[in-house]
Amino acid sequence: MRSVRPELLQWYGLFGAALAWTAQLVLGFGVSYADCNTVGRQWGIDVVTWEIALMVVGGLVAVVAEVAAVSVFLSTRELEYDDPPPAGRRHFFSFAAMLGNLLFINAILISGIAAIANSTCRPL
Amino acid sequence: MSSASYAQRVARPNGWWGMAVFVATEATLFGTLIGSYFDLRFKAHHWPPEGVPDPKVAVPLILTAVLVATSLPMQLSVRFARRRLAGLTCLALLVALVVQCGYLAMQIHLYVGDLHHFSPSETAYGSIYFTLVGAHHAHVFVGILLNAWLLLRFATAATAYRVVGLQSTTFYWHFVNVLAVIVTVVQISPSL
Amino acid sequence: MLSPDAFNQMMTMHGVTMIFLFIVPMTTGAFGNYLVPLMLGARDMAFPRLNALSYWLFLGSGLFLYTSVFIGKGPNCGWFCYTPLNTRTYDPGLNVDFYALGLIFNGLSTTAGALNFIVTIFKLRAPGMSLNRMPLFIFAILAVSFSLIFAIPPLTTDLVFLELQRKLGFHFFDVAHGGDPLLWQHLFWLFGHPEVYIIILPAMGIATSIIPTFAKRKMIAFPLVALAELLVAFIGFGVWAHHMFATGLATTTLVFFAAASMMVVIPSSIQIFAWLFTVNLGRPEFRAPLLFIGGFIALFVIGGLSGIMFAAIPFDQATTDTYFVVAHFHFIIFGAAVFPLLGGLYYWFPKVTGRMYHERWGQASFWVTFVGTIVTFFPMHIVGLLGMTRRVYTYEPNLGWDAYNLTETIGAFVLTAGLLMIFGNLLWSRFRGPPSGPDPFYGGTLEWATTSPPPHYNFAVIPTVSSPYPNWDREDREEDVRRFERGLLVFETGHETPASTVRDGYLDEVLEMPSESGLPIVLAFAVSLVFIMLLTTHYVIAGVFLGVAGVVLAAWHAREPAEG
Repeated sequence: MRSVRPELLQWYGLFGAALAWTAQLVLGFGVSYADCNTVGRQWGIDVVTWEIALMVVGGLVAVVAEVAAVSVFLSTRELEYDDPPPAGRRHFFSFAAMLGNLLFINAILISGIAAIANSTCRPL
Repeated sequence: MSSASYAQRVARPNGWWGMAVFVATEATLFGTLIGSYFDLRFKAHHWPPEGVPDPKVAVPLILTAVLVATSLPMQLSVRFARRRLAGLTCLALLVALVVQCGYLAMQIHLYVGDLHHFSPSETAYGSIYFTLVGAHHAHVFVGILLNAWLLLRFATAATAYRVVGLQSTTFYWHFVNVLAVIVTVVQISPSL
Repeated sequence: MLSPDAFNQMMTMHGVTMIFLFIVPMTTGAFGNYLVPLMLGARDMAFPRLNALSYWLFLGSGLFLYTSVFIGKGPNCGWFCYTPLNTRTYDPGLNVDFYALGLIFNGLSTTAGALNFIVTIFKLRAPGMSLNRMPLFIFAILAVSFSLIFAIPPLTTDLVFLELQRKLGFHFFDVAHGGDPLLWQHLFWLFGHPEVYIIILPAMGIATSIIPTFAKRKMIAFPLVALAELLVAFIGFGVWAHHMFATGLATTTLVFFAAASMMVVIPSSIQIFAWLFTVNLGRPEFRAPLLFIGGFIALFVIGGLSGIMFAAIPFDQATTDTYFVVAHFHFIIFGAAVFPLLGGLYYWFPKVTGRMYHERWGQASFWVTFVGTIVTFFPMHIVGLLGMTRRVYTYEPNLGWDAYNLTETIGAFVLTAGLLMIFGNLLWSRFRGPPSGPDPFYGGTLEWATTSPPPHYNFAVIPTVSSPYPNWDREDREEDVRRFERGLLVFETGHETPASTVRDGYLDEVLEMPSESGLPIVLAFAVSLVFIMLLTTHYVIAGVFLGVAGVVLAAWHAREPAEG
């Protein structure tokens, strides 16, 4: 059981931010798509609130994933990336995830800001 | 090292992984069908369009509950099969199979009934409704065929190969049952 | 020269053939199937008969599609076949039906292959090969396989909708009955964008195999390169509507895709820097394979730069449907997918045939191909910006495009000469090349640890692994020899191969693999008949053949491996 926590942290650190970005993209796109089409007038969706919420929640999930990845990396920092598993494998994935998560955090931020800044349903 | 020392496998068998990947493709397929449903819905002034009846709520939900319940005998059959109890495995499979066949027969009856009220070739609503719901029924049918095959095999003996087959098929059924809930909710959503 | 209809068919089939019948089958299908078991230290793919099936389905789908060309009914709607052009109203003949059914058919092959790769990579690794010790080519194929699993279903849905609309009068894409023309595009590009990463990722995998060998050092920032390969595939699913920037969708909807399109460049850039640093910090030997990778990097950078320009919505709207787009994707597909493929043909030629290619001729063939590629495709940027549209069978003279297009034509002949030099080299060397031995380049991965060509069982003794460059771990390879002498990890009863645990690669069980079987061909034939019957609207007979396919599947599972 002791090895469950670093294991969970490693996998959450690897996938958490990616899944947060995915959710923000699918839901953020979906909400704006619904609003800018016929049903939007019927449902009265508050797109800006949705986009802010998605950006904040998605961003938080992604930041926590980054914290998880960093913690696993620090706990295995004396290892090499090809060292024996499971510790070597956790070091490998946490090292890679530390960079990948920054990418997703950035993507969540710029998508959210852009969606809020362009929140009317006009084409360019 | 000989084959005998690896009788206790730790990882899931290859057949299970194969089914898991296959389930991923089918889940994506249904994701696109449901996405298409909402794409068409978001662009419609009236959904369902005028002249098309609102979907029934109670009967589809009850039928879905019945199908979801078959996950229990399916999972039991895996438990029995792992202990090589071929007879009990067959019994659990038979119970599941009978209920699943009854479910499908009822669903086909409802589907044909719907066709008398509105057509897939008149409106986009009809097209996506019959395609989405029909796709799920097709997956139930495939599951029934798999169960029938397994029943035949387990009637003779419970080999390791067949146990993996049953594990994989049970996983497939859990997926079909979860899908039944999602598809039914989408199907009845205009009436909710 | 070509009538408008002939042009439309040729242009469509060029796209369809290159993407569905050439680049993905060659990189994922051919290179993938040959190298994945070898690099994993396995004896075969996880599902050998499914492997055969995916080949025969590929052949069947190719024959199905090309039958259309021979009867003059080739697909003529462009490889993306937009609505409403693809409807019965505007394209009533069999052309679009061949397209839709042919691509669903082809998708079955690709899905089967992708499934096989995932299970093989997860379960059939050599003992000691935990996830952090897999070669980079394996990471690339894993990324491609997951991409295929999630990308092909949207295409299948789109094509099924199309056939239901054409054949049974359903309404998915026509506005008059509540349909949505953009639905076609959404579903198509949900497939289509990941598809282009599917095209390039195996090529990146080939590059990451060739570079360490000829730079004589391990890849710099290995974990980042591995993750970058997975990230490109993953983020690639979030950019699809950048193919729809000019369709009138609201900006608030499109910005998600502009943002993601800018992000997707970063993993590719990480890889480029890693490759360049590795070559620079190593002791590079610029033999033919590495030359092709050098060309690949140059062309990939140019193609990537033109690609990132499209992430800016206004620029995209100005250049949509111009030759600027054509220039971009040919630099990427030809420059960045085909060049590593050509380099890979040279690199693994000794492994496959046991003979060495002609080195000087190989290097010369690179330069001719490289110059030909640039001369053919670079002017397209310029004519595109000068306003030349895509998909036109002719155009007025004196629009300022003539000289550039003539240059491209000359370039195409030079390029063809380069390709002929490559194939000539390989053909000649196949019969006259000197013996290469098992490991002529001192490569780091396991395919170099067995004979050239490898025996049917790949490895006489299953290797144990303690790094992603197992052939450079001489102690491990010496230990293999000692184990072979003691009869350990040899598995010589029947067709045996070991299976591993998924995350950490511990030896888990011994699998008995099936022997040769005729069932894959029979099943592929039955499936072909299903599609032919669907094409000719004989639905009941199609159902009968589907039943036959079901019976074949039952026979497939009738004979079981021995217990215990």
